[in-house]
Amino acid sequence: MNRTVLIIGTIVTAALVGVLFLGLGHDPSHIDSPLVGNPAPSFALKVAGSNETIALTKFRGKPMVVNFWATWCRPCWEEHPTLTAAAGELGDRVQFLGVVFQDDEAKILDFMRQRGAAYPTVIDERGKTAIAYGVGGVPETFFIDANGIVVAKYDGPLSPEQLQSYLAKVLTP
Amino acid sequence: MILTLILLIGIAEPPHGTPLQGGELERRTQAIASEIRCPVCQGLSIADSPSEMAVNMKAEVRDLVARGYTQEQIDRHFERSYGQFVLLRPKFRGVNTLVWILPIAALAAGAFLVLLTLRKLTKGALS
Repeated sequence: MNRTVLIIGTIVTAALVGVLFLGLGHDPSHIDSPLVGNPAPSFALKVAGSNETIALTKFRGKPMVVNFWATWCRPCWEEHPTLTAAAGELGDRVQFLGVVFQDDEAKILDFMRQRGAAYPTVIDERGKTAIAYGVGGVPETFFIDANGIVVAKYDGPLSPEQLQSYLAKVLTP
Repeated sequence: MILTLILLIGIAEPPHGTPLQGGELERRTQAIASEIRCPVCQGLSIADSPSEMAVNMKAEVRDLVARGYTQEQIDRHFERSYGQFVLLRPKFRGVNTLVWILPIAALAAGAFLVLLTLRKLTKGALS
């Protein structure tokens, strides 16, 4: 009897410790993207401050960095100089695209006037593109290779070093 | 002039159900939305959350239900973007099987222990 209790108790405790270990070692705000390794969802969205619409397909054949952001998001402010600097340096080698999420066009234009804009920004008015990309918060950045495959996703503001490391993945032939 | 937003996103497969409208559409939307997790909330479904993200996701559910998409198809549609995380009720497959089996196994183990203890107590009392 005591032996049986000990064995069952050990198994239950080991299972609980295992579950706790897995849970504590995982960031609950991070969602693994099932899009990685799959084609990037298509979209066509209006460009901020213009009547033009940009479709993702327009950039097929070129590596892309698609950054979901918003003017009300402080970490996006911190990340903005990193993205604009990299876009300026890389020129035509990589296409950067900002997708603004749950925001107001006037505020977006004001933000870009004050802080600069090195690449196009489109407006995801009804959040459908954010949903298709599985966005759970901003900033979130998707790295898409020249074949239109999502190579990586990053949650949170990118540092210049992190951006370089992810860019290496899409620039690799 | 308000510009038209062109969206190419959608479900590639045809709907497997019947298009709904009116009260039935609302009831079905509510039922499906109550099992989809709001990705920007703490444990709330998109039916219960007032966040803009949840409202947009629920609108997408309503649109799909109105077009005749089934719950299975709608779940798959959101899973393609968010993974199984988005489902409040995990599917009975893969590692998720443990979520369903472990509570039953724990209950059975507890019942077994209680039974053993009772038998021992009964034996002790009789002798």
